[in-house]
Parts: sequence; structure tokens; C-alpha cells
Amino acid sequence: MEGNGISRRGVLRAGALGVAASTLPLVNVHGQSSGGRLALGLWDHWVPAGNDEMRRIVMDWGQKNRVEIQLDFITSVGNKNLLTIAAESQARQGHDMLSFPTWEVHAKADQLEPMDDIMGRLGEKYGALNPIVEYLAKVEGKWRAVPAISGSQNKPALGRMDLLKQHAGIDIQQMFPANANPGSAAGNWNWDTFLKAAEASHKAGFSFGLPIGQFTDATDWIGSLFRSFGAELVNGKGDITAKSDNVRKVLEYAKQLCAFLPGDVFSWDDASNNRALISGKSALIFNPPSAWAVAKRDAPQVAEQCWSFPAPAGAQGRFTPYLPYFWGVWSFSRNKGAAKALVEYLSQREQAELMVKASNGYDIPPFTSMTDFKTWETEGPPPGVVFNYPVKPHHNAQQFIACYPAPPEIAVQMYNQGIQAKMIARVVQNNETPDRAIAWAEREIEGFKRG
Amino acid sequence: MSQGTLSAPAAPAAAAPPRGGALKRLSRRNSTVAFLLTLPLILLILGLVVYPFLYAIYLSTLNRRMTRFIGWENFTFLLSRETFWNVVFQSVLFAVSAVLLKALIGFILAHVLHALPAKGQRKWRGMLLVPWVIPPAISTLAWWWLFDPSYSAFNWALMGIGVDPVPWLGQAGWARFSVILVNVWYGSPFFMIMYLAALKSVPDQLYEAAAIDGASGWQKLRYVTFPMMRNIISITVLFSLIVTFANFDIVRILTNGGPQDTTHVFATYAFQVGIQSGDIPLGASVSLFMFPLLAVFAIFTLRGVNRRSKEMA
Amino acid sequence: MSSTTATPFVPAEIRHGSLRRERRWALIGAYVALAVFVVFFMTPPFHMLMTSLKSSGEIADLSGNPWIVAAPTLQNYWELLTEGNYLVHFRNSVIVTACTVAISMVISVMAAFALARMKFWGSATLATGVFLTYLVPETLLFIPMFQIIGGLGLYNNLWAMVLIFPTLTVPFCTWIMIGYFASIPKELDEAALIDGASHLQMLWKIFIPVALPGILAAMIFAFTVSWAAFIYPIAFLVSSDQMVLTVGIVSDLIRADTFQWGKIMAGALMAALPPLLVYAFLMDYYIAGLTAGATKG
Repeated sequence: MEGNGISRRGVLRAGALGVAASTLPLVNVHGQSSGGRLALGLWDHWVPAGNDEMRRIVMDWGQKNRVEIQLDFITSVGNKNLLTIAAESQARQGHDMLSFPTWEVHAKADQLEPMDDIMGRLGEKYGALNPIVEYLAKVEGKWRAVPAISGSQNKPALGRMDLLKQHAGIDIQQMFPANANPGSAAGNWNWDTFLKAAEASHKAGFSFGLPIGQFTDATDWIGSLFRSFGAELVNGKGDITAKSDNVRKVLEYAKQLCAFLPGDVFSWDDASNNRALISGKSALIFNPPSAWAVAKRDAPQVAEQCWSFPAPAGAQGRFTPYLPYFWGVWSFSRNKGAAKALVEYLSQREQAELMVKASNGYDIPPFTSMTDFKTWETEGPPPGVVFNYPVKPHHNAQQFIACYPAPPEIAVQMYNQGIQAKMIARVVQNNETPDRAIAWAEREIEGFKRG
Repeated sequence: MSQGTLSAPAAPAAAAPPRGGALKRLSRRNSTVAFLLTLPLILLILGLVVYPFLYAIYLSTLNRRMTRFIGWENFTFLLSRETFWNVVFQSVLFAVSAVLLKALIGFILAHVLHALPAKGQRKWRGMLLVPWVIPPAISTLAWWWLFDPSYSAFNWALMGIGVDPVPWLGQAGWARFSVILVNVWYGSPFFMIMYLAALKSVPDQLYEAAAIDGASGWQKLRYVTFPMMRNIISITVLFSLIVTFANFDIVRILTNGGPQDTTHVFATYAFQVGIQSGDIPLGASVSLFMFPLLAVFAIFTLRGVNRRSKEMA
Repeated sequence: MSSTTATPFVPAEIRHGSLRRERRWALIGAYVALAVFVVFFMTPPFHMLMTSLKSSGEIADLSGNPWIVAAPTLQNYWELLTEGNYLVHFRNSVIVTACTVAISMVISVMAAFALARMKFWGSATLATGVFLTYLVPETLLFIPMFQIIGGLGLYNNLWAMVLIFPTLTVPFCTWIMIGYFASIPKELDEAALIDGASHLQMLWKIFIPVALPGILAAMIFAFTVSWAAFIYPIAFLVSSDQMVLTVGIVSDLIRADTFQWGKIMAGALMAALPPLLVYAFLMDYYIAGLTAGATKG
């Protein structure tokens, strides 16, 4: 907790811990507090500077509006943020405003304040949103949270220019340079090309680092793979549509691809692929620029060769994995007005630009009109490494969340239990036929459908 | 009420005049005192274990959105799921094999330590206790780092002697092995300490007597050590079995249940279903599943322990 | 090994040469077994120590030997101690653990005394029932607990841990104490009762001093458990300044998919220090305390 609101807890702590309490870091906002108190639980950013910038923005706002701010950064490690959300929704107390990951807005919709007014004003100002955030945060026609800037991320390809050029003959920087004029090879950047590149890299000892476990990095890229093959397991109405040629095709494809991946990708977590890249063992992963940023610190010679570029396209198009966060205000909050005002303030272009800058371009704002910040062009080395990290018009790509368009209460279970990844694992590890894997998935999903 | 007072016929003459009414009053007062002494314990358990436990049972009878009572449906649903039966199988495999190994290793180590001269014992004991003193959530992280696909220090060592790298957490068999290994690593010292304490409480005369009867080492173990240690073995095994069945951090950190759900145990599966997939009632049902079985096992074990300690006393 | 051959315990008999040889082999076997297990037990801590002495660049570098540190640095330790909230977490852990141990001991010593010495209606059931509380897993309890803790206004508060941790420690401590009290000869209470002491005086003046080793053993157990507790802290503590070590390390040193391995290892080793010291100095009491209660159980 930061800030020095004089709460019951504060008094208790000060009394009980005595001197110790005075050693706490007090980042403070002290005004006449006419705006009351506001407790915020925001996503603990992987870039320390991301937290610092966020704190600065929020505290500034608090000072200007005479609102006392208590700010916690809640990590998503070990699903701590999910635990926090569950805890506060049960206890009906805690923070006024929280960062909600992907599916939680739907799950807690009846305890969240409607945000239609804010969304209306933001839409007028900044134009179109991507449809995924609408799918995730608009429940029964009402916005229950505002798509967040901080923490929302894409997971396009992040490759090694040198390795891919040398072993797979693909010049990714020429294909997707740091400007709006893609190279001639860009049109050919599809899953077939990808497979050949994976094979070549594997033979050279730099297998692609594609996780196929139950963590989000795995679910997200596999979701996009399925979508670009047109392989849909559940449609928007909630009918199971897994038994289709497209699903069979994508499973066949995945089986071929897995032959060129490390043997233990089935247990990889969100950090394993980063490590594969940073250690220099891998030529390509699907990830936000965090892997590159760590490499910049720990393995600069690797970082210099990194380049973000769009995911390959399939028969149905190109889909960039996307994992948004949302800012929501609890209906039991005692200071909803201030909380909503802050959310609206944070969503403005000026603040978005600051956050993107502080996070080395990691954060992806929900509005397409905000994908032109300078940071993405200048960040480096190599300069322009994250230029193609946000989805640009010339990518011909859409942001996508795995399991879309299944009804969210089914999709959340498919997503978190990694159904698609497990289908692949069955086909690859257990040598099952695609039809058997599909039959298994149908049985699982049938179970998710109960109310 | 102390039997001691009643069975001390010589005493009352010197002390208070023996009157039936006084004794009865004393006994009534005693049970009030006894009740007051146990009150904090009772309150703690009622307030922070029994009440939330009953509430959790209630939760397990609700539907996903927690709006409707559905009775047994969560349980019947679970029983119809293939994945859940995998979880049951893995939980049993995990807990039983880990506890057996821990008990065995603890037993061996306790024996070996007990045989050492007192001077050297302390040093060895200290080293053998290290796994037990590092908070397990964090030592598991260290194991995880040792198993990491890219950075595994084990695989580095294996490559050094010309063995292929092992997918520690990537294949069902290895992953199962790894989670059990870490649990055994963490839990063995606890068994060792408990057994060591038990061994030290076996009177030397018993061994001497056995030696005079010409007992072999095995016979001494079988007829002296084992009977004397039975209670502590039962209690330790019971305690460890319960705790191992409830284990969360090791599997959660190492594999998160993967690959293909083969390493999920009750707690991690409950977490995935309840917290991650937003079905708290179903998660509660998963956690409750083992309760009746373990309870029966525990009651029988504890009864045996009580009977034996009465016999001994 | 030479000291063993000179051991005075060998009975002076004719067979004593062979006995001596047998003992020697047994001892050699013992040391071999010990060595094997020490290697098994110490491998991860050793690797932790090595990693904690490396810079993050060296950790990320695959060409080096992961078991040996090439350029040792204390930077990880230094940064933990001077930046961030590690010391706050450490202090919180100390506070929570100290309070938990104290509360656990008061509750379990009183209850164990009553259960071991003052048979009353339901005492046997209670003694068994207490142990059965372990059957209810933390992963089940924390959800209903959200409401209890929330209702008390203790959500995201260090003191909630002081309230909850005793549920983890008290049952086992009570069991140890019942065993220990049961091992104290009945003559003691008789003598005390004759002198006109009340039960409370008896507990305070006689049982507690006599049972000190048992109490110490129970304290050490309570200490270990509450120092290492993980699920409740991660479920109930959100603000960094309220966190205890276990959850603090996990949530402050891991940023999304970036692990600061050097610091995590350094933090873990320093977190292991207090229990290590406790065991190093109090181990003999611990064993002695368990010993007396052990066979009685």
C-alpha cells in the first residue's frame, strides 16, 4: 500500500507496529481530500519503469483532483490478480478499481459499474475499437469495464534476424521493415512458409520456441493458429462445431510443426519461450517485447538481432494474438465517481503515450488510432525492433483472442484449460488421430456448457 | 477428573478430610476449568475451520454463478469427467508414493543418524534438515529452474557425461516423477526428525535384552524398534498423507498440471476450475472430494494410536 | 573412524573382534548412505547459492557451467537489502511468525493440559477431532475465509495472518503437547493436588517447567509452518507493505514473464536463515521434546 490515507487499518498498523510503520515508503498525496479516497489495484508491470510512470500519472491526477490515492500493483504471477479479484468480490471490499485480465469482466459483470458513458465519450474522440475488447467487456449490451492500456499486449512473432536469414532464408527485417512498406516476401508469410522455416531452424539447432502447455502464451498463439485455419471449436451461439475439416487440418499441421519443436514444449510456461530466445537457443517465439527487453539487459548480442513482426497468415487471414486488460470499478466501491473519472483520464491519448513510452512499447492501447506513437518507431537496438508490434494497417491482420467467438462463459474454461493445446498434445504426444482428439475435445466442451 | 486422586489411598488421610460431596464438587469444578482451558482451541476450530468448511460444503451445492442450489450435481458432474478421474489417479499416485518414499528415506536416515557417535550427528543432521527449512514455495522455484528446458543445470550435467537431455516437465512420466521427487526432497527431513525422536525414546535396555537373546539386527528392528515406533510412524504418515494430498505449490509451480493434465492434483485442479475458470462451486467440490476417504483413514489410524498408547500406559 | 574402534561400548566378550568389525562396516555403510542423501538434499540449495552469486548476465549465459559461479558478486543480496521491500517483508514475516507461535502455544498448551490430564465429557473426541482439522485443505478454506476476513475488515492486512495461521499450527502442537504431558508421571499431580494446588497452578508451576522441551518442540514446529505458509498469504495480502516473505519474493521479484533468478535465490536463502539458525541451536531440544511425547502420542 502506498499513500498515507488514515484508514482504520492505518491506525491499527501504526499502533501495533509502532516505529516500524514509520519506515514504510510513503509516496504521498496530501490535499484537502475533498475528492475522498481511492484505492487502486493496477497490474504490476513487468517493466519497473512502467509502474513508476503509472504511479506518477495517478498521483498527479490525485493531487489535481484532491483525491487521496492508495495504489497497489498486483502481479499476475501465480494468478495473484485472479485471487485478488475473487477475494474482493467475495469480501465485497478491497480496492475501488482493479485491473481485470481477459475473462474476468464477464465473470464479475454483475458486480461491476457500467462504463457506457465513458466508452461513449472515448469512442467519439478516438474512433474504432478492436472487436475483441467489445466481446470481452460488453456484457448484455453494457460496457462493464474500460479496455486498459497498461498491460494489454499483442503476441506477434519475435524472431532472430540473423538466424532466420542464415538458416531459413527469410529476411524478416526486409519483409516487415520499420515503415509502412512491407517487402515482397510479406505476401508469402503464411503458415506453410513458417513450417519450412521451423524445419530449417530446427535442423540448424535453433528450434522455434512455441509453448504448447496451458499458460496464456501457448493458448494465445495456438488460438490464432486455429483461427487462421478457420478451425472453430464452438461458435458464437455456443454450439460445438469442432468436428470439421478445418480443425482436422490444423491438427495435422500442428503435428508436422511439432516435429521441429523442442520435445518438452508441452509443459512450457510463459517464461520458457522468453528464456529459449534469450539463451540464444531459439530463432523465433511469439511474445510481447519483454523477451527482447530482458535480452537487452542480459544478452545484448541476442537483443541486437531481435525483430518483432506479424504472425503468419492462414487460409482465413492473419490473426495477431492479443491479450487485453481492463479497468473496472466495483459496484461496492464507495467512491465510484472518482474511480470512473480516473479511468477516463487514464484512457486519454496523452496518458496512453506516456505509458507506452515508459513500457518500451509493451502496452497496446485499445484504439486503432493510438497505434502511431513514436516509441514504437524509435525503440531499439536494433532501431524499430517493435515497430510492427502493434497491428498496423499494412499487416492485414486482426487482433484475436483464443476461443472467440464462443460465449465467454464457455470460452473462459476452454481458454484456461488449454483445450486447443491439449488437442495438439494428444495428436502429437499420444499419437491419437485428429478425430479422436476432436471427440475428446467435444466431450470436454460439453462439460463446460453446463450453467 | 484425575484418576490419580482416587487411586492414591494413602494420601487423603493427611490432606483434606475425604468427603464424597467435596470430591464431586471438585470434579464439577474441574470440568469447568478443563472446558475453559480448551475454549480457545474450540473457538479457533469452530470459527476458522468448521464454519468455513460447512460454508464450503454449501458452496459446492451451488451452480456456477452461485445463484441456484443444485445439490449433488457438481459431484455427479465431476464423476462423469475423464479429466477428473485422471486427477484422482494422479493425486493418489502422487500422495501415496511420495509419502512412502518420505517414510522410507526418513526411516533410513534416522537409523543411520542414530547409529552415529553423538559428536558427528549434529553436523549431518543440520545438513539433512536444509530442505525442510527453506519455504517450499520458494525452494520449488529453485527446482523449477533446475528443470527449465533451456537452462536446466541437470541437463547440463547429463550432457557432460554424454546423456541426452531429459524433458523433466515435458512428458507425462518424467513430469510425474519430478513433482514426486520435489515433494520427497522437501518432506523427508520431517520424517527423519520425527523418527529420530522416536528412536531416542526406545530404552537401551530393550536392545540389550534383545542382544542377550541373540537377536539379529533385523530381528531387533522387527521386534523392538518397530513396535516402539508404531505410533509415531502412524501419526507422521497420517499427517504427511493429509498434507501431501492437499499439496498445492509444488505442482502449481512446476507444471501447472501439465502436460495434458497428467500431473494435476486436487488442489491445483480445484484452483484451475474454481479461480481461473470462474466456477468456484465446482472447485470446492473438487477439494472436498477426498475428505470422506481421508477422514475414515484418519479416524482408524488415530483410534489405533490411542489404543496402543493406552496399552503402553 | 578410528574413534569408533576405540569405542568403549563394545562388550568384552570372545566374539568381540567380529562385533567390532561388524560395527565398523555398519558405520561405513551409514556414512555412505548419509553422503548420498546429503548430496541429494543439498543439490538445490547449493545451486541456489551459486545462482544467487551470479549477475543476471551470467545466469542468462548458457556457455558457462551452471553449477559454478565465474564472477561472484554480492550485488543480488545488496540490492535486496537496500532497494525494494524485502526488509519490510522480512519484518512482517518475523511479526506474523512470532505472534503465531505465541498464540499457538497458549492455545495448545492449555488445551493439551486439559485433554491429557483432566478427562471430561468429549475430551477424547476433541483430541481426535483437533487432528482431523488438517483434513480440510487450505485451498478449500480460503474462499469462505474471504468473507470472514472481509467481515472483520482484515482483508489485505498482515494481522489476518496472525488470526489464520494458528489453524495450521495448533492441531499438531496440541498433539505434541498431549503426548508430552501424558509422559509426565501421575505422581506429580497427585503431590500437587495434595498440597492444595489448583489445576491452573499445577499447569503453571509444574507442568510448564517440566514440559519445556515439549513446548520448545511445538514452538519450533509452529515456527516452521508459519514461516513457510504460502497459500493464505498469497490469497489475502495484496499490498506489498503487508506481505510476508514467501509471497513477497514471488510477487516482487517475478515480473510477468521475467524472473530475477539471482535475487529470488538470494531472497530464498536469506529467508531460510532464521529457521536454519533455530534448528541449528535448538535441534537437540526439539528432538528431546518430541522424544518424550513420541511413544505416548
